Amino acid sequence: MIERESFLVQAYEMGVEGAAPLVFKDVDLRERPDHPGHRLDLVVEVGAVTAVLGDEDSGVGDMGRFVLGLDRPPWGKVLVYGTEIADLPWRKLLIFRRRLGYVPVGDGLLQNLTLAANIGLPLQYASDHRQKAVDERVDELLTMFHLADVATLRPAAVNEEIRRRSAVARAIALDPDLLVLEAPFDGLTHRAAHEIIEHVRHTRFGTPRTVVITAQDLGPHVIPLMNRLVHVEDGLAMEGLE
Amino acid sequence: MTAVVAAIGHTGARQLSVIGGLARFTLRVLRTAGRLTRAGRVVTLRVLVNQIRFTALQAVGLVTLLAALLSFLVIAQSAAQLGRVGALDQMGTIMVVAVIRELGPLLTALIVVSRSGTAIAAEMATNKVMGEITALEAMGIDPYIYLVFPRVLGAIVSVACLMVLFDVVALISGFLGASTTGMSYEGYRQIVLSTLSAKDVWITVAKGITFGAAVALFCSYHGLAVTAGPTEIPQAVTRGVVGTIVAIFIMSALFVIVLA
Repeated sequence: MIERESFLVQAYEMGVEGAAPLVFKDVDLRERPDHPGHRLDLVVEVGAVTAVLGDEDSGVGDMGRFVLGLDRPPWGKVLVYGTEIADLPWRKLLIFRRRLGYVPVGDGLLQNLTLAANIGLPLQYASDHRQKAVDERVDELLTMFHLADVATLRPAAVNEEIRRRSAVARAIALDPDLLVLEAPFDGLTHRAAHEIIEHVRHTRFGTPRTVVITAQDLGPHVIPLMNRLVHVEDGLAMEGLE
Repeated sequence: MTAVVAAIGHTGARQLSVIGGLARFTLRVLRTAGRLTRAGRVVTLRVLVNQIRFTALQAVGLVTLLAALLSFLVIAQSAAQLGRVGALDQMGTIMVVAVIRELGPLLTALIVVSRSGTAIAAEMATNKVMGEITALEAMGIDPYIYLVFPRVLGAIVSVACLMVLFDVVALISGFLGASTTGMSYEGYRQIVLSTLSAKDVWITVAKGITFGAAVALFCSYHGLAVTAGPTEIPQAVTRGVVGTIVAIFIMSALFVIVLA
């Protein structure tokens, strides 16, 4: 069995102990920063499923990239576990990302790999475990997400729902404390969305996982599954839906 | 006149920038070699084996055919001309210097560039355009470890092996060419072996390593340099292949200068 501490110790040594999983501090989400009064301040609570919603031009779509340190906001700071992720040097940034899970818009699966190989990828390259242990974890995820029958297929050969489930399975392969999902339910049925949320809510150790969902909108059946809803308008965060 | 100077300067600056970028790229690939995890090594080995299968095994027929034809033509023509002036013993020099030392490595590298270099550049460019490089980085995986490193290793092993194959086939086919002038096998063997030395073997190995590395590095670099979108993929492939061909010829010339 894979124990998190044994292979992610470097990643979990980084960050500030006791710090909030995610803080947006004075962040301007829009492409053209203007008024300081229109900057986002948001603290994401530990163990909560938080949905951040906003129109296409609200800048919500960039938040996931800011959290992962793939982009830097035009203004302000994004603190992940107390660390300003955009300031980390490249090598440390790669290591730090191993404690985060991320599903980009679409799915981000590698097209020339099977679904099983896609799920195993972070375990193989971001861990120091033997192939046998990696295979066991992949099998566990394939079963959990009902992917065993399609495990040997490539992403192009399966439908959107299976691709999305595979991408989420890959994102939690390293059992991260913080998971960022970009528009994860677009085009999915209520049942599929419900299933995804139930699978990602808790870590393998049973502790609640911090999940941040960014989207333009959420279906009425999905909203009750969220612990918190934040609507971004004019660069500002407002609790609840308007 | 100013415009001409400016255009030359602009081109020169662009070429220097590419050389600088390539140097940084190569250093980064070398640095990644020591950072492979245990399970990562298993995957890298799998990718490496696949790369060797595509680059070396699937090119065996083509390399054999071209080596046989080239050697047969060169030796048959040379033997006929040298026989007229009574200098048949010089045929060994032509075989070793022209075919084994120069044309063999060049032709082998060109075959690998045209088959696998294009594939590497197109694959890398597609990975970049599809957002797969970003996906790897977001998972904490260095794309250089996953994508570039096994391809560089694979290309080095493949080109070196294909060059040895080329030389063996060329030597056999050279005899067929020489036999058209009535030369015996024993005569041919003596002429060639008296010219062939251990140095030629080492030069072949050295060229295999450098040419193989050049194919994978140039093509990967240009593939990963794509930024705009799918329309840039064919341009990246062209840049990668042309750059590699020029580099291989320059390196060939450097080998001659250094080993003269």
